[in-house]
Amino acid sequence: MDNQQPPHAHEYLENKSENKKLPTFAVLQLSGCAGCEVSLLNANQWVDKFQLVYMPLVVSAIEVPCVDVLLISGGVRSDEDLYNLRRAVRCVNKVVAVGTCAISGGVANLGNRDEVRELFMSQTERRELPRLLPKSRPVDDFIHVDQYLPGCPPTPELFMAALFDDPEFKPSKTVCQECGRKKLKDMRPKHLTGFQTGQVHPDICLINQGYLCVGSSTRGGCRALCTRPGHPCVGCRGPSDMLIEKDSAAWLQNIQRVFAALTDIPPDEIREALLSPQLALFLFQFSDYAGTDKPPRPKEKVL
Amino acid sequence: MATLSFPLSRIEGHARVEIEVQGGEILATRFQAMEKRGFNLMVTGVPAEQMPVIVPRICGVCSTAHHVASVKALEDAYGVQPPPAARRIRELLLLGQLIQNQATSLFVFTMPDRLGVESIFHITEQEADKQDQFEIARRALKVRQLGTDLITLAGGQFIHPVKAVVGGVSSGIEQEKTRTFQTRLIETLPLAAQLVDYYWDISLRMKDRIGTWGDDQPAYYITSTRRDVPDFDSEIIRVMTPAGECCQEFTAGQFRNVLTFEPTDYSYAGRTSYEGGVMRANSLARANMTRSMGTKLAAQYLKRLRETFGHPAHPILLFDLCRGIELVYAVERAVQLLQEPLDHVDTDVPYTPKDGEGWGMVEAPRGPLIHHYVIEDGNISVGEFIIPTVHNMLAIERALRVAAQRYITADNVNMELERAVGRVVRAFDPCIACATH
Repeated sequence: MDNQQPPHAHEYLENKSENKKLPTFAVLQLSGCAGCEVSLLNANQWVDKFQLVYMPLVVSAIEVPCVDVLLISGGVRSDEDLYNLRRAVRCVNKVVAVGTCAISGGVANLGNRDEVRELFMSQTERRELPRLLPKSRPVDDFIHVDQYLPGCPPTPELFMAALFDDPEFKPSKTVCQECGRKKLKDMRPKHLTGFQTGQVHPDICLINQGYLCVGSSTRGGCRALCTRPGHPCVGCRGPSDMLIEKDSAAWLQNIQRVFAALTDIPPDEIREALLSPQLALFLFQFSDYAGTDKPPRPKEKVL
Repeated sequence: MATLSFPLSRIEGHARVEIEVQGGEILATRFQAMEKRGFNLMVTGVPAEQMPVIVPRICGVCSTAHHVASVKALEDAYGVQPPPAARRIRELLLLGQLIQNQATSLFVFTMPDRLGVESIFHITEQEADKQDQFEIARRALKVRQLGTDLITLAGGQFIHPVKAVVGGVSSGIEQEKTRTFQTRLIETLPLAAQLVDYYWDISLRMKDRIGTWGDDQPAYYITSTRRDVPDFDSEIIRVMTPAGECCQEFTAGQFRNVLTFEPTDYSYAGRTSYEGGVMRANSLARANMTRSMGTKLAAQYLKRLRETFGHPAHPILLFDLCRGIELVYAVERAVQLLQEPLDHVDTDVPYTPKDGEGWGMVEAPRGPLIHHYVIEDGNISVGEFIIPTVHNMLAIERALRVAAQRYITADNVNMELERAVGRVVRAFDPCIACATH
């Protein structure tokens, strides 16, 4: 990322002067945090290869025109989100659902818990503002999605891969492979370390140190940005290809196996910890996600 | 009566401005936040120690401020003091965010207003000086990238950082990395200063064109930075009076005794006031309430601001100029911090989680940000987020009224109003995802 340079003016202008028609893309932001948009801004290579025609965060434009690629971030939280979503996809070649909120609800799922939801709905009635739907929904509840780009948020590299359709782009299978910490057979904690407690050894696998890290079954492509400086993976990219079309039980089993190989922590302790909200935000993004009974998203569609 | 409605772009989040007019008289100006996710309720029942990973998701623009405020609230509840090395790394995180945010606001959000384009990513065939414009966009993104990479260096993940933990940070920064990054900061500083000069210049030209710096009536100002030099990690909030008298001081936990919060029926964000008066947070508040920037170049810019506009200064378009000063400050200050080794092993202290109440505060780019948690059985029972944009709501609406009065008469509406509405709102750089959370 350090070396990413936007193109020089002359390159850009040459492209323009030859009247090459640049492919167009738009970014539709539903209810979310704009982190996906900020990540896209951190990626500069698209600037001379694509024409950005709609992205309210950085462009003054009122409606999504016809485009080659539409990126959609955020969940469907209000009637306005739904209206904008349905309008935006009418004239688009490729629809990409970007980030956890668009794909499976993400952090918003914490608000879908019944006890929270009822209180929330009772407090949020306003005149003449978009009306909130009973629950936050993923975008493919309403529209067809051609590609899923998971991550909270996806890295700039992943955005580039989605925009450029690069067949050569192959992210690592798991976060674990990108992390590079050493796994030891003889450093076996008996219990989980509290989620943020204690000194982190710089080179040894976080699981060996008793942290609840799910990088071993989370899809790679993020450069292990969290685990390398010592924070356990919370699984924001969702399950790896091996697990993505299976249900959450298979995923849990896999994590249990990894912990059994590297620790002496009782399986029940791990199971209970895995169901904590921090992880529940992200884990079940592609099958039995967000409490729906839809079929798993096919792995070919997931970057 | 007619209601004029203005959709907004080039700000964080979904918002709209409405102006009610009757026979040329402005009846009301409303700034409407149009989205809501309900984090204050979403976090109930969440294990307290997971908050620093969950709450950055309130906003991908201000995530770093939420991350650090959250850790500080837990440290307050648990009674923990982080070691000095950890505090330096956290300050770097906040500076990274300041660079990224101020560069985004200056070059991506507000520069198009000064250049008369829809976006810095749109360079149209008609522009006579498009080569220059493209070069400026390229440099602006390069300076902005510096902030992003500083967040990554100090925070791990680049949007939702993870390295601040209760008791400190999860790891230090290797010496080789601090050296390399320091060199990069030093090399990029002149570029940042050039861009700020350029921005200053095109702002003056815009003022000549439109004939105003916007709402220049006095207001209360609020910040949590220090009196002598900037400090984005302090414990005291201060309010300055419209006459420039300084200051009522209070801690985060006392804010309810001093500020009045009220919900509004036309917006998902509420608003705060001080003694019934209009209050302003963000860059101009800090510039008015800080003696010196404490770094060489930034101090010169602040001097220039005061010589040109007086002290305290009130016109709203100065918020944008002050962001430029802070951009330069943040680069200079980061260079200072990286001077000392940060590859310590003692980057955190042990702690014992316990139930109770905690308050955490940082000065976010938009002003003082407060997190307030009540912890029962290890879980959050009350999560409260006091957002700086909410302090600016009345100030935004007053400035919109000033703009509306300028461009609306009994006979017609000057469509410069549309651009003026954008300029007014962007001067305050509001964050809607945060304000409504």
